[in-house]
Amino acid sequence: MLELADYTFYFLAALVLISGIAVITAQNPIFSALWLALTMIGVAGIFVSLDAWFVAGVQLIVYAGAVMVLFVMVIMLFDLRHEIHAFSRGILSGFLKLASAGIVLGLIVGTVYRSAETVFAPPPVETDKMADVTKALANTLFTKYIFSFEVIGVLLLVIAIGAVTLSRIRGGTHASHD
Amino acid sequence: MGVDAFETTINVAKMFVIFLMMVQAVPVLVWLERRGSAFIQNRFGPNRVGPLGLMQLLADAVKFLFKEEFLPKKAVAFLYYAAPVIALVPGALALASIPLGPPIEVAAFEMLGRQMGPYVFKLQGYDIGIGIVFILGVSSLGAYGLLMAGWGSASKYSLLGALRASAQMISYELALSLSLVGILLVYGTFNFYEIIAQQQGPLRFMFWGKENVISWLPNWGVFFNPVGMILFAASTFAEANRLPFDLPEAEGELVAGFHTEYGGFKMLMFFIGEYGHMIVASALLATFYFGGYGIPFVSPANIETFFHAQGFGLTAASALTALVSHLALLVKVALFLWVFIWVRWTLPRFRYDQLMDLGWKSMLPWALANVVVTAVWLLVANTK
Repeated sequence: MLELADYTFYFLAALVLISGIAVITAQNPIFSALWLALTMIGVAGIFVSLDAWFVAGVQLIVYAGAVMVLFVMVIMLFDLRHEIHAFSRGILSGFLKLASAGIVLGLIVGTVYRSAETVFAPPPVETDKMADVTKALANTLFTKYIFSFEVIGVLLLVIAIGAVTLSRIRGGTHASHD
Repeated sequence: MGVDAFETTINVAKMFVIFLMMVQAVPVLVWLERRGSAFIQNRFGPNRVGPLGLMQLLADAVKFLFKEEFLPKKAVAFLYYAAPVIALVPGALALASIPLGPPIEVAAFEMLGRQMGPYVFKLQGYDIGIGIVFILGVSSLGAYGLLMAGWGSASKYSLLGALRASAQMISYELALSLSLVGILLVYGTFNFYEIIAQQQGPLRFMFWGKENVISWLPNWGVFFNPVGMILFAASTFAEANRLPFDLPEAEGELVAGFHTEYGGFKMLMFFIGEYGHMIVASALLATFYFGGYGIPFVSPANIETFFHAQGFGLTAASALTALVSHLALLVKVALFLWVFIWVRWTLPRFRYDQLMDLGWKSMLPWALANVVVTAVWLLVANTK
């Protein structure tokens, strides 16, 4: 007997899969980017159906809201015909495509294989307060995983400084005048 | 959803009512905007159709409905038609998750020969525990409607407007989110009801572990986080694309920006989206910094006791309490909406580089400093 939650899951899973396939089959890069945004919104919906409200919100804010808007903006701003041509021809790019597809396939198979026991295990104890989940998440993040958290922060700082440096040495609007 | 058909019906009806509230507020706001601008600029404004020009809205609505359908020749039809609808979504979703009053308790009653159990109806579309995160997530999707309009209508003005809009929204979202961190630190919750409940009564704060009470000030967030309030208000102006941040439409440079190619009802939907953003922004300002639906010095429990004393039953007293509190929220929202209009007709538009400098080099550092200062202040306040 299917319940409402099952229908929600199947609807969201279908949405994510269809829009995910549409991302790579769409001819116009704008449509690819918009489909990708829809994929991310679908993933946020799946997080909601798993009661991970905070993760769903962050997924919307960071990926669907900021990262994808930047993608769409860049695609609109530049004529990408040359890049599309460069990425659809040549042995090296074909090899890279095969390699990345293999890595993704390996990840999926590995996850399914390793999580087989977890999926069929009885569901954990119900947690009803959403805010408490957020507090638990914050507690884990800032006590147990504080080192990884700080390291990722430093990594992002390095990336930001690198991006600023690159934009200043190659000329253009923000080039340094010394 | 609800335990039985009655509760489900009410809950679904609430969503429609709140959406219609947003749509219905728009003509009033347009009238206020035109009469208000005329007042500020020493003109008359629309005053011919009906009393005070109020019927002008009706005439405008008819005009919008009967305008000729138009699709630019090189436009991407799907994006062109979808964009106005998508522009409506973030405002409507965000408004539905803001509490508009205290919950209404309905005592058990009999209907059609069946015993209907006691209900509690929340005066909001849906209660989401992590209200603040949800609002930020939904409003960050606002850029898509503009981007789709700009790209879909195949016009250089539209595209430039859309690019400006997305860059502006991403930049000011940072300041917006960071300014809310101060409120999160002070109140320690994402939930709107808990934030509002903590703002009731006279101003009370801790200092070196001792409680101080200032009896002539309400316990509002603005006294705990004034810098955060200013930053939040300024970045909501940018998020709603209102002057002085209306670079995406900039009539002087871009004709009408991202909606250059739109007319008639589609244009009106962008309008509703923009005014919806303003309403959400005003309601959020009231909720975070000015006590939400609370009336200063009077808690909803006080009002309910008062109505009980007047001889009303449980349901009636609860509904009247919700009504009075809702009116208090409406007064605050109307005040902030007037500030939106007032600022529009007072300040000139920024230049684009000034806009980016303000967002990244002034507001972001101030918001970060606000977080640090609030955290240190909380530590000092609660240390014995």
